[in-house]
Amino acid sequence: MTVPAVHQSSSPDTWVDTYGDYLYGFAFYRVQDDLVAQELVQDTLVAALEARKNFSGNASEKTWLTSILKHKIMDLFRKKYRDASLDAGDLDEREIHARFDHHGRWKTGPARWASDPERLMAQKDFIEILHQCLKELPERAARALTLRELEGESTQTLCKVLNITPTNCWVILHRARFQVRQCIEAKWLK
Amino acid sequence: MINHWTFRCKDVSELISRSMDEPLPLRIRMGIRFHLMMCRFCRNYRKQLLIISRAMQSSDARNASGDFSRRLPDPVRQKLKDLLRDHDPS
Repeated sequence: MTVPAVHQSSSPDTWVDTYGDYLYGFAFYRVQDDLVAQELVQDTLVAALEARKNFSGNASEKTWLTSILKHKIMDLFRKKYRDASLDAGDLDEREIHARFDHHGRWKTGPARWASDPERLMAQKDFIEILHQCLKELPERAARALTLRELEGESTQTLCKVLNITPTNCWVILHRARFQVRQCIEAKWLK
Repeated sequence: MINHWTFRCKDVSELISRSMDEPLPLRIRMGIRFHLMMCRFCRNYRKQLLIISRAMQSSDARNASGDFSRRLPDPVRQKLKDLLRDHDPS
């Protein structure tokens, strides 16, 4: 029986130069604030230093540091939303209502997207537009959808982190998807 | 939403999203399927939501989910290095 090799992590001196910018960019994208992102990088590196002996070398060092950062970001969201109730804007469904007639039928239904899904997704433009459209969502909606789809969190987890009831969670996710789809259609198909 | 054989497009768009987050009861799924058979708009809608979801889960999207053109400002970089050095137990 072989004991899995335990690699030493590289020397912490090199972390800032090797991973600093990456972690910063990763954090900034999620919190949209310079100072907060910098603080997250700092907390991550300090936590990593303390946990260094637990680093098993099963994951790459970058993946390991990123997962610590992800936890820090979730903690931050948890704190941020702990006392923040939903804005009226978060549940505003007017934009959705506007797309349906009073029988609940589409006024102008979703157009067919010409190219097939595989080819569509392979296009750099598509991913870029997707990211632009995510940025246009209200804050909590964007956060909910990115946690769900991009980070693969369960609905339960993200409801808890964002401090919303499951019902509101579904409303917010529905609205986010509805708007992102509409935004992509508008930006991409013209 | 009393009679699930007569879902409206508006309900279906909501249920399609919800089905992506949790399993729905059979009768609701049947109702959606029945509606989709007759409604090409909702078929388009569903297909496109799935494309968006898959695109977001793709590695391309994940790799792009950072503002990687950003650089830590030099003073911050230095501060972090000092901090690591001070904290380093080894």
